[in-house]
Amino acid sequence: MYRVALVGNPNSGKSTVFNQLTGLRQKTGNFPGVTVDVKEGKIQFPGKTEAILTDLPGTYSLYPTSSDERIVASLLTDPKHPRFPDAILYVADAHHLEKHLLLLTQILDLDIPVMFALNMADTAAELGIKVNTAKLSERLGVPVVFVSGRTGENIPKLLADLEKMLTTPPPVSRVESFYAFTETEKQIAEAVRLNLGTENKYRALLIAHHHHWLPFLQAQDRDTLSTIVETKQFQSLRSQVDETLDRYDNFTPLVQENVQQPSVFPNTNTDRIDAILTHRVAGPIIFFGVMLLIFQAIFDLSVYPMDWIDGGFSYLNDALKTNLPAGWLSELLTDGILTGLSGILVFVPQIAILFLLITILEEVGYMSRVVFMFDKTMRRVGMNGRSVIALIGGGACAVPAIMSTRTIGNWQERLITTMVTPFISCSARIPVYLVLIGLAVPAVKIGGFINAQTLVFGAMYALGVIAAFASGWAMKKWLHSREHSFLVIELPEYRIPHWKNVWLTVWEKVSAFVVGAGKIILIVSIGLWGLARFGPGDAVSKAEQQARAEALASGADSTQLHDLLAHHRLEASYAGQMGKFIEPVIRPLGYDWKIGIALLTSFAAREVFTGTLAVLYNMGSAESDISSREETQAKVTMRAKMKNEKFSDNGLPVYTLGSALSLLVFYALAMQCMSTLAVVRRETGSWKWPFFQFMFMGILAYCGAWLVNFLF
Amino acid sequence: MQRRFRTVPDLKAHESAEAIAFSDPALAGKLTAMGVRPGTIIEMVRKAPFGQAYYIKVEGIRLALREEEAASIMVEA
Repeated sequence: MYRVALVGNPNSGKSTVFNQLTGLRQKTGNFPGVTVDVKEGKIQFPGKTEAILTDLPGTYSLYPTSSDERIVASLLTDPKHPRFPDAILYVADAHHLEKHLLLLTQILDLDIPVMFALNMADTAAELGIKVNTAKLSERLGVPVVFVSGRTGENIPKLLADLEKMLTTPPPVSRVESFYAFTETEKQIAEAVRLNLGTENKYRALLIAHHHHWLPFLQAQDRDTLSTIVETKQFQSLRSQVDETLDRYDNFTPLVQENVQQPSVFPNTNTDRIDAILTHRVAGPIIFFGVMLLIFQAIFDLSVYPMDWIDGGFSYLNDALKTNLPAGWLSELLTDGILTGLSGILVFVPQIAILFLLITILEEVGYMSRVVFMFDKTMRRVGMNGRSVIALIGGGACAVPAIMSTRTIGNWQERLITTMVTPFISCSARIPVYLVLIGLAVPAVKIGGFINAQTLVFGAMYALGVIAAFASGWAMKKWLHSREHSFLVIELPEYRIPHWKNVWLTVWEKVSAFVVGAGKIILIVSIGLWGLARFGPGDAVSKAEQQARAEALASGADSTQLHDLLAHHRLEASYAGQMGKFIEPVIRPLGYDWKIGIALLTSFAAREVFTGTLAVLYNMGSAESDISSREETQAKVTMRAKMKNEKFSDNGLPVYTLGSALSLLVFYALAMQCMSTLAVVRRETGSWKWPFFQFMFMGILAYCGAWLVNFLF
Repeated sequence: MQRRFRTVPDLKAHESAEAIAFSDPALAGKLTAMGVRPGTIIEMVRKAPFGQAYYIKVEGIRLALREEEAASIMVEA
């Protein structure tokens, strides 16, 4: 199987060409040791040859300034790498050809067969840009094909030419390099050749430039290279800049001779749009308007498919329960596995809607403007302009929001965004807030117009935002970036989104979640079911006998018996035991063991909290009415029952203003969501960060809840 | 004494000036690779809404720069 690497600048239309060539035959590949995802896809050539196409991160040169750009330089300097390409497909935007030639002329010096695809043929012609491809091809020494990633024009020709290049590699007849080495650079390249056996001069020079971080070098090689660089007094940064300027001087005439460009770029539409969208007053206002729309869309549109998924699963669950023989095996299938599956699928609508909308904004070119506008604000708290989108998305659900941090290039900024996004109050916290606020806060008007309940509700959201910003600021102080953070980004011309890219991104995000985070969610969900279903020894069966006896004594009907059974079973289970076990720990917060159980079970999803309490207060069958957003009879009953709850030892009421506010604060701050942890695990590539996040948020929540209980 | 150069943040909106040199070698590599080179004409488009970032145009390419990045580009006085 051949390997082809897709190389080009950011905004060259590389991903569009990638999607044209591979379609759905693509997956996300992992480069060991890096957290950047690199997409790979299979190309089926007309002549039956097959190749794996690797879509390398976009970069402007082989002198990288971020971890994703480093992938390109480290792969191309390491011919022993399993992904080292047999050929390179270089994509450039025909509109700004000059800027794209820098990286191309660097690549040409590496002696890898190169195919040059000049992208955006259709719009270039409209703008009056004419390229003499034959002449350009002759001067660069590589075949040049004019393509349109957007319409697919000339893609078949590109495929045929690429296949020919792979099966019958062209003779190494290189034209003269666009860069002449200095005397020092010649000596350096020779020294690298003698020590590492790197024959290619430019590759040897690149290894010398990047010797302190290239992953394939042994410690010994690194030392040798350090010595070489020092003894030759090689000034890496200086030499990089000189090389870049030299290359420009050499290929600029080539562009002037062979490319006919309009003297003034007529595309002032982008300028006109930007005058409004990046305006110092209108810009941020429009942005928040757009974000509000996205937030509403995730919130409102996803309700329907989420209800169908919920409804479908509970129907299936009930059908299986009535038709299968009773016993723990059927319960494992229904309450364990099916509940877990629905817990995974219920996120799909939110993920799909969020990514549909943000991919459109990205494709249109708006996202880079967002980064430009909010970079300063977000950088103060250790994040990046793009983090705004994740934080706002977190208001609906942290799971898709964290997945959207992929586009943040700087690893530290991405990590901080991932760590603090779950502080933003998500939709799953709403039922918990509603029940508790209704219980603890009187519905009085403060100052005659603001409802006290509304005020507390708003305060919970504010608390989340403050916690996110403050902990971002603290993490920034603690992490100290190792890599220099650059902004320097291109603000591309506005254009109509390429729908194929949009659908493929949505598809990729949804399947990444279902496959990547889904299995963790399923396992944890089964585990939680087990904890709530089984108890030590015969505790559970004894509890069942007791429930039946109570029911018989009070003449309960079948619904009441069902509720009693559920209550006693849960109390006797491992989860129940654990709730009692942790009571001393949570007592200072004002909670009893029943709340303890609810805290444990709601780890599956925050909204489970109300359901668990419903079971413990003998009203399990009304569970679904409590978690709905509307004010229901069940909620009123629930509050009445909560008001009557007393601590078993001293008879004092459990739910006071202090304990209810304390619970609110706990839910606002604690990492009570296994799905989020599963996604953080997937996105950061290790258990270290979700563990840290769980502990950090947990400790903060505990301290905050304690303080509130103490004060009120 | 009159300064012989200015930096990009000194430019007013829609003012253009020729780039002369860079003051920070680490940033120079990135900026040259993106098309900002001595001899190119830099047009200041506007400042970011909350400050500390600039929107510039260089040979038809639109770029966003941070304060320190923009300040490292010296332009003719």
